[in-house]
Amino acid sequence: MPQQRQFNPYSENGGTILAIAGADFAVVAGDTRQSEGYSIQTRYAPKVFRLTDKAVLAVNGFAADGNILVKTVKQRLEWYRHAHAKDMPLRAIARLIQTILYAKRFFPYYVYNILGGIEEDGTGAVYSFDPVGSYEREACRAAGAAQALVQPFLDNQIYFKNQKPKPGQSHPTHLPLDHVLSLVIDSFTSATERHIEVGDGLEIYVVLARGHSAQGLSNIPGAQEISQTDEGERVFVVRRDLKKD
Amino acid sequence: MSIMELNGGSVIAMVGKDCVAIASDLRLGNQALSISSNFQKIFPVTDRIYIGLPGLASDVATLRERFRLRVNMYTIKEERELEPETFAHLVSSTLYEKRFSPYFVEPVVAGLSKLPTSTPESPKFKPFICGTDLIGCLNFAKDFIVCGTASEKLFGVAEGLWEPDLEPEDLFETISQTLLNAVDRDAFSGWGAVVHVLTPDKVITRTLRGRMD
Amino acid sequence: MASDGGAYSYSLTVFSPSGKLVQIEHALAAVAQGTTSLGIKATNGIVIATEKKSSSLLIDSSMLDKVAIICPNIGIVYSGMGPDFRVLVAKARKSAQAYWKIYGEYPPTKVLTREIATVMQEATQSGGVRPFGVSLLVAGWDITRGPTLYQVDPSGSFWAWKASAIGKNMVNAKTFLEKRYNDDISLEDAIHTALLTLKEGFEGQMTEKTIEIGVVTVPTPAELEASQVGAATGRPTPTFRILSEEEVRDYLAL
Repeated sequence: MPQQRQFNPYSENGGTILAIAGADFAVVAGDTRQSEGYSIQTRYAPKVFRLTDKAVLAVNGFAADGNILVKTVKQRLEWYRHAHAKDMPLRAIARLIQTILYAKRFFPYYVYNILGGIEEDGTGAVYSFDPVGSYEREACRAAGAAQALVQPFLDNQIYFKNQKPKPGQSHPTHLPLDHVLSLVIDSFTSATERHIEVGDGLEIYVVLARGHSAQGLSNIPGAQEISQTDEGERVFVVRRDLKKD
Repeated sequence: MSIMELNGGSVIAMVGKDCVAIASDLRLGNQALSISSNFQKIFPVTDRIYIGLPGLASDVATLRERFRLRVNMYTIKEERELEPETFAHLVSSTLYEKRFSPYFVEPVVAGLSKLPTSTPESPKFKPFICGTDLIGCLNFAKDFIVCGTASEKLFGVAEGLWEPDLEPEDLFETISQTLLNAVDRDAFSGWGAVVHVLTPDKVITRTLRGRMD
Repeated sequence: MASDGGAYSYSLTVFSPSGKLVQIEHALAAVAQGTTSLGIKATNGIVIATEKKSSSLLIDSSMLDKVAIICPNIGIVYSGMGPDFRVLVAKARKSAQAYWKIYGEYPPTKVLTREIATVMQEATQSGGVRPFGVSLLVAGWDITRGPTLYQVDPSGSFWAWKASAIGKNMVNAKTFLEKRYNDDISLEDAIHTALLTLKEGFEGQMTEKTIEIGVVTVPTPAELEASQVGAATGRPTPTFRILSEEEVRDYLAL
């Protein structure tokens, strides 16, 4: 009887990420649970990473691939800094990530990426990727285990899908920061309630363009500033507990 | 390919303040091909009970007739109106009869049940919803029940939009928005929707236009 | 040829020229030989009671049960043949559980009574069987009709009663009940009336060992509301129960 042996190089580690772009800010969030099958490997494994003073990357899918990808991207960004004496612009980071992902077209990084930050023109931006590097700029995106739960909720609350504005009025194209933050928190508490792979903790990164006051963060307890540029871009992180069951 | 995805379709029910709502999409498909945009999945059982039957279309038709027979037999034999709780058990036992060759349908029941203290002069009702799997395992939820191909999306939106003690018109808005936004992200559901809101004195039925793609 | 029924007394399913099924008449005669049982419907409940008679004083009468619980809301008592009653109790209990399996609640008294009556009727029209030699009093409570009392006869016919008696002393007992009964009798008064009725024509001493009592109580709206939370997860609070010997003794002492 011939014996078959097989090695599966991929695994799926659960969790969900989400990013929303405002007019002059971007919010990138992810839960911190990492699981394999029905087992929780850790309750704190960050999925959201600050790349530059105005770019944040969320990585979801196979955690090992995700970590290597973030490491690679960070290294390329450092090389860029050494060569050009400045941070890589957001749209360039997006293209860089595409190149890195597509380079492994036939043995892909099993990850879904969402990049958020501030463009050179000062607008908030969100870029979402598939595992082989297809990407587009959007106003909001959810990915990961609870994508199916969160995305239609965002369609409704961010894009106002299936809602008609009052006569003579129109829907806002961008929402204020405090509103966006409460939607992010609601999305994750909802996903935690109904999806077993989502929970434990929530990390929300907020990137503010220059001149944007941290007003919307004032009613969110525990917002912590991690970096500030000379020009005035600021990055904050908010950490919250999610249900652990 | 899952047999539940052959024809597609989704149903949702929600509890409000002294009222319940049940809603479904109107699509009938053959895998990825849409056949009809007016396929009824929710049926009245009594004046105060509605049942939603998402799943295999042929089983939807068969079960609808089976439930009608069993409900008529009950009302004649017992000389009394059927209560939603009793009907839920009837649904459950009918499905479990076919434990090893099931109907591919996951029913949702919504109704108003008469309270023991209710009198003909001052009727009092309690909202009731419940769902079952395809072999009749009952799920009595206090907030909402979702079923069908868009169930995961419905869970997410409903969990975000639903709140306790909604008045009939607010409940209508909540269930409509939940259904519409969920089925828009589901390839097997959509093509319009129908919503029923049951209140103690009337049933509000509205057909909604949705994305036709 | 049987001595009194003539040519029509053998085959159960054959009518006599006068339009009677004589086997059913004989079954009624068997009932009339049985000890007296009675039931009284009160405003807030029902009492069913019966005389327990042992053929020998060596028999341990605590083994003898004439009042039976069918399901938490229904109890029955009989006059006539004990073994036939046992069979009916088994069938009735099974029927109640089958109903529970389908609807998640126990049957209303009328439905259960009809179920038993159907079983008894089938024994009057099937081959190779004889009619049941018992009459029953079915007492129960349900949400639609409240407390109800039914009598079922060997023919399979059944009626609802305010008060009724079956068995040896039924004629006297019924006359007694007709005099004593009024529409606003309380359960406590009904229990005493039941004991008084049984006392008429009781052979020997009436003690807690020689009579048996079952009562139906009506739950308060609050109790009902409490038992209605969500699904029927546990057992419902019983509305029918058999009085213990102590309770019977206390009623007799009054």
